[in-house]
Amino acid sequence: MRTAIEITGVSRRYRSMTALDNVSLSLEKDTIHGLLGRNGAGKTTLMSIATAQDWPSAGEVKILGMRPHENEQVLPQICFVREEQRYIDDALARHAFAAAARAFPRWDDDLATSLARDFRVPEKTRIKKMSRGQRSAVGVIIGIASRAEVTFFDEPYMGLDAVARQLFYDRLLADYAEHPRTVVISSHLIDEIAHLIENVVVIDQGKILLQEPVEQLRDRAVTLVGRADAVAEIAGTREVLHQESMGRIVRTTVLGALDDAERRAVKEREVELVPVSLQQLIVRLTAREEAPMNSTTNPAMNSTTNPAQEVAR
Amino acid sequence: MSSAAVHSEAAKPVHADLASRSSFARVPAAFKLQFTVPSAMIGVPLIVFFGAWAVAIVIGLWIRHLADGEGEPFYTGASQATIWCLLFMAAYSASHTFPFSMALSYSRRVFVLGAFLAFAAISAGFGALFSVAILLERATAGFWAESYTFDLPLMTQNAGVLGAGLMAGAVCLSSMMIGFFWSILYRRVSLAMLWLTALAVMSALVVIVMVITQNDWWPHVGDWLAVQSSYTFAGWVLLLTLGLTVLNYVVIRRAVPTP
Repeated sequence: MRTAIEITGVSRRYRSMTALDNVSLSLEKDTIHGLLGRNGAGKTTLMSIATAQDWPSAGEVKILGMRPHENEQVLPQICFVREEQRYIDDALARHAFAAAARAFPRWDDDLATSLARDFRVPEKTRIKKMSRGQRSAVGVIIGIASRAEVTFFDEPYMGLDAVARQLFYDRLLADYAEHPRTVVISSHLIDEIAHLIENVVVIDQGKILLQEPVEQLRDRAVTLVGRADAVAEIAGTREVLHQESMGRIVRTTVLGALDDAERRAVKEREVELVPVSLQQLIVRLTAREEAPMNSTTNPAMNSTTNPAQEVAR
Repeated sequence: MSSAAVHSEAAKPVHADLASRSSFARVPAAFKLQFTVPSAMIGVPLIVFFGAWAVAIVIGLWIRHLADGEGEPFYTGASQATIWCLLFMAAYSASHTFPFSMALSYSRRVFVLGAFLAFAAISAGFGALFSVAILLERATAGFWAESYTFDLPLMTQNAGVLGAGLMAGAVCLSSMMIGFFWSILYRRVSLAMLWLTALAVMSALVVIVMVITQNDWWPHVGDWLAVQSSYTFAGWVLLLTLGLTVLNYVVIRRAVPTP
């Protein structure tokens, strides 16, 4: 695996809290990664440290094999526009794009112009006077048009309407196809970015809960819908991640793929095989991973109220 | 179309040239960053420069008119207006341009070099304008009202027009560094720590004044000031500015661009 981002034993402590706790992570080059987690999980802190905007209390970060902090050999290849990015006072969008064009060696001005038109970014409105969605669009355009080797998007959809969000996903993917690079997107909208990401990283309370390729993750579970006895027979001794009952019909999500015999049984017993949504799968898996931790901190908390379920909300 | 599907279709870019670039290759871009919105560092200070001057001239003419064209030369403090304006613009640079520079992935060192070179260029421009304004005031006898905003004895002391311009530029640069310092310090530390630092600086100044007073050194201070010229004053101010520059880099080195 060619590694773009290597994070080793990184911790970030503030006076009264620990934002990151001994995080180690290795993200593959030329891949779109999804960084998922609840508010305050440590996503932005992790991205800030990876892009040298913040400093770790302990540990080491390497981007494209180099330490990024105060390193002009690697920094021009990194782009991280924050969710609530601050721009130069009185700047118009074209001012921000012009500054970005001078900063990023691979900046594509035509692409930025085309994106600004598609996102309907107003030309004569100062950025500070724009709506939240329009400001987010300015950040998204800088992120895509920079063509930085390692690009981070911190919840880029904030304020964007459904059309603009889809436009972001489509344009990012189209440009990524022509110019592969490493992209890290933090998001709460897991299913919305599910088709976009190739690798999932879930973070909670400053710790990495899960890191896995999406395809591999999808193969880990299956949802069976049908009569309770038939579903129980096919599920066998597999670990049940989630189960819902609707009269005699049950909907059960179990760990593990089905073999050929089991697939035949699914047809014969009129059981329906439903693809597991990435969002639900991550919620269930992280709930399971967190269970021992939560049982020691809050025994009264059950899996349906587990904080990990908030990941997808 | 998924990202996995497109992954293998594209060619892999090569960026070996970036890795061999100089650490200071983006300093010119960081310099230009300060002028991204031309009104901030050029337009507004020019408006303040000429606006304050115009107001001072009108007041001078008015006073001369009230005195029936008689009276002593009239000196105004309007030349300070641009310096105060640029002090706040430098503070804006720390509060707004610095976070944006981080989004553009500048190292703090490159941002600081670009910003301080820009401040130096602006200060040099202010100093040059200051000298031209002195010449204009001399040519027109204070706009026919003996009203002087730039041709001040304090500024031209033992040095003339050029020395006054140099002194004005040095004071401007020093002020911009001070504005930048307080703004970046606010970003770096808590509000309580900011005020504690301000109190500490004020206390240090009071102690210096009290020590001079207690030892009856004021006549010596007066003698020392009397032999100084605008050139030597400018030298002292630039020395102070150098210290502020180092201090600013130390503070910004660990500053984080949170909103």
